[in-house]
Amino acid sequence: MTAIMACFVLMLALQLITPFWWWIMVVPFVYGVWKSRSVWESARVGMISAGALWFAMVMWQWLSGGQQLAERVSKMLGMSSVALMFVLTVAVAVLAAGMAGVGGYFLKPFGRIIENRGGGGVRS
Amino acid sequence: MKWLKLLLAPAFPCALFFFLNFKHGDLPPLGKLLNPFAGFWQNNAAGDAMLSDQQLPELQESVAVVWDDRRVPHIFAQNAHDLYFVQGYLTARDRLWQMEFQTHAAAGRLAEIVGARALEHDRFRRRIGMTYAAENALKAMQADGKSRVVVEAYTQGVNAWIRNLDAKELPFEYKVLDYQPEPWTPIKCALLLKQMAWTLSGRSSDRIMSLTRSALGEELMQRLYPQYPPSQDPIMPATTQWNFQPHVAQKPEREFHSSPSGATKSIERISTDGSNNWAVAGSKTASGFPMLCNDPHLGLTLPSIWYEAQLVSPEVNVYGVTLPGTPAVIIGFNQAMAWGVTNAGSDVLDWYEIKFKDEQQSEYFYDGAWRPTQQRIEELKVRGAATVRDTVTYTHHGPVAYRKHERPFDEQVPAGAAMRWTGHDASQEMLTFLKLNRARNYEDYVEALSHFDCPAQNFVFADTAGDIAIWHNGKFPLRWREQGKYLSDGSDPAYDWQGWIPRAQVPHVKNPERGFVSSANQNAADLNYPYYLGWDYAAFERGARINEFLATKSQLTPQDMMNLQNDVLSLFAQKTLPHLLNLLPPENLEAEQKQLREVLATWNYEYRAGLAAPLIFNTWWRELFVLIWSDDMKVGEHELEYPRRDVTMNMILCEPASPFYDLKSTAAKETLADLVQLAFQNAQEKLVAAHGPFGPKWNWEMARGTDLPHLARFPNVGRMHLPTSGNSDNVNAITQTHGPSWRMIVSLGPEVKAWGIYPGGQSGNPGSRFFDNAVDDWVAGKYYELLYLKTASDKDARIVGKTSLRGGR
Repeated sequence: MTAIMACFVLMLALQLITPFWWWIMVVPFVYGVWKSRSVWESARVGMISAGALWFAMVMWQWLSGGQQLAERVSKMLGMSSVALMFVLTVAVAVLAAGMAGVGGYFLKPFGRIIENRGGGGVRS
Repeated sequence: MKWLKLLLAPAFPCALFFFLNFKHGDLPPLGKLLNPFAGFWQNNAAGDAMLSDQQLPELQESVAVVWDDRRVPHIFAQNAHDLYFVQGYLTARDRLWQMEFQTHAAAGRLAEIVGARALEHDRFRRRIGMTYAAENALKAMQADGKSRVVVEAYTQGVNAWIRNLDAKELPFEYKVLDYQPEPWTPIKCALLLKQMAWTLSGRSSDRIMSLTRSALGEELMQRLYPQYPPSQDPIMPATTQWNFQPHVAQKPEREFHSSPSGATKSIERISTDGSNNWAVAGSKTASGFPMLCNDPHLGLTLPSIWYEAQLVSPEVNVYGVTLPGTPAVIIGFNQAMAWGVTNAGSDVLDWYEIKFKDEQQSEYFYDGAWRPTQQRIEELKVRGAATVRDTVTYTHHGPVAYRKHERPFDEQVPAGAAMRWTGHDASQEMLTFLKLNRARNYEDYVEALSHFDCPAQNFVFADTAGDIAIWHNGKFPLRWREQGKYLSDGSDPAYDWQGWIPRAQVPHVKNPERGFVSSANQNAADLNYPYYLGWDYAAFERGARINEFLATKSQLTPQDMMNLQNDVLSLFAQKTLPHLLNLLPPENLEAEQKQLREVLATWNYEYRAGLAAPLIFNTWWRELFVLIWSDDMKVGEHELEYPRRDVTMNMILCEPASPFYDLKSTAAKETLADLVQLAFQNAQEKLVAAHGPFGPKWNWEMARGTDLPHLARFPNVGRMHLPTSGNSDNVNAITQTHGPSWRMIVSLGPEVKAWGIYPGGQSGNPGSRFFDNAVDDWVAGKYYELLYLKTASDKDARIVGKTSLRGGR
């Protein structure tokens, strides 16, 4: 839970101060390399933290007057319901972050090598 | 194995990143687009909030912007620089993507945004010299001190907005198409004006008319494609006296006949564009002061073509619609006068067949000798592909759009011909608008018009002093009769334009006896006018209906004007339908056909949304039109120009035994009655196939409808299939794609009052509630009273806030 919260807060901060969407891949990836204990845990941390973050933000945008545009974009993308717009947005976050977490986990040996050589690794 | 895992582990996230971060064909970059922190979700209605007070270093003095409840900015500046700076700034705030996209389209740069599929579009724009035209216009703008200041200030304003734009505020379309705005430059203002010039004066039928003449011969050409078609009610009243000695263009003794190669498809003369304007003298109005009305009809899109604004500085207080991307008000009014425009339709574009020495096109034959051409290299950047270099050949006439062996992007363009277009010449159209914005009287208006060359327009005028006027205004070549109707000989100097019609001699009228002036794209004057201006004008119906209405009424009110702008009576149907019904005896009809005939017989000739009759009549007429002409207007692979609707109508009414009624494909000799009955049967079959048996689905709004597609044709982002009334031959000339892009009524007097509406809204953001807030009212024929303020501190219930913009840092 702590890991999820930490990733959530870190991604939130990075997304607020920069325009880049791919922090939701970078943060779980780094977590996977650095801290994850299993492939499932690495994926779960990324999926839940990024999914929750984008869901919360989408809700905020929706309540801030985003209904009309969401409806237009859902139709533009050929969706039958605006609810699918939520699903697609969150699904992209979950998929991207989860896959990045898994990718990071499989790079753990590389992380250990760097850590053992004492060069360049991220330290807690 | 471990190392293999190490290598493969990042491959999947990298592939996913690549998929989500980049555009693939039409699929937007989903990661960027869906990112709720900077993607499309940020373009929500929260952006509708009032612009906050702020400092803009470029401003020389403070500027107040008053906002009304329709998001119209009323800009109060203390000098011209600041006025146009803020106009640029606020227009960019609401319409940045639209104005930039349109300049990319005009300049032939769409492939930079959407890739190779726009390459031929871009090549066409370069080949017809759009950038060349804009460069010439810009030189003229910069040579005039006033225009230069205005364009530069406007440019600074747009760039100030771009400079302050952060990623999440980027307009929605940039996010979908995945690109960034570039700095605005003055030439973009010129490009937008040239784009409008091409839209309004770029149509040409020289090629197909040459083919048609080859096939039909001179005598039939005069009958079927007359300079002055039947039933015309011209813009200038028939009583207008032309008290001047006209210049004469010398017609060459040898007549040039060309038979261009390549298949053709008839440009069927069912008009889609149709604008109206009129001004009524105080003697005919209830207020005792003139009223002026204008509804320019254009292809409709969202974001809307126009952007409403009031521009105020010590020397001007003008309200109206602006063209996003260019300074000043284009159609509007001030305290003293009002003006409006319709397209003149006179011919200002000719094509000259060129004989080149060789394939290099470095020399062309002219006046008995080989002359060098000029070659302009165009670089067409293509997203995701290599830049394409294209060489465009220029003769003294103008650019050669396509080489002999090339297939033109636009079928009307003849290959191997050079174009002579007044739009290519240096001109000062923007100065006209700046001066009209400040005009106080008829003399100011006439002086302003003297700078306006292309596209030629019918400028209507009214002022508080009681004057009304209309000028068919532009730079018109001095021609002999029908010069430029066909392809011209590019090697013979006798075919060059021989000068210009002096501006004082273009058709115009001030305070005519009938108490009103009007135009609806029809012939400017009857055949007593001594100059030849062209032949391809709108048919009689709209102009005649407006004139009939205004001539018979008095004590006119703004409500009468609104009713006239929304008038859907078809004079064409009124003239034609009774005759057609006479040729369709009910006793020969089946039960459903009798029903349809009855619907038509009881129709009041109005194109109202819920009626079946307009649908039945239009389908019937179309079938009849095609039956009459399709066999006669085809020679081999060439489809010839179909005669116009008004000519066809006149033939049906006056020539019961015309040879054109006989179908060449049958042994029998058909009569008009045979065709009328056959067309009726065909129409019924087509309607049943499309809408089922006669019933509630057979109505004008369901069968036709009007579309406001998104400018970039994003599916489902515009408003489609709107239940509109009207038809192309009605005063309310709405079609599926075109319609009144702005309806304006101005009642002059001590306190000017005005009403207006356009199909859309002030914001270009599809997430804004001001994107399409006026569409339903526009469909319903409603108007908004325009808020014309005298000072920034005026009080009115419609004012929703004020923004203070300060200079300095």
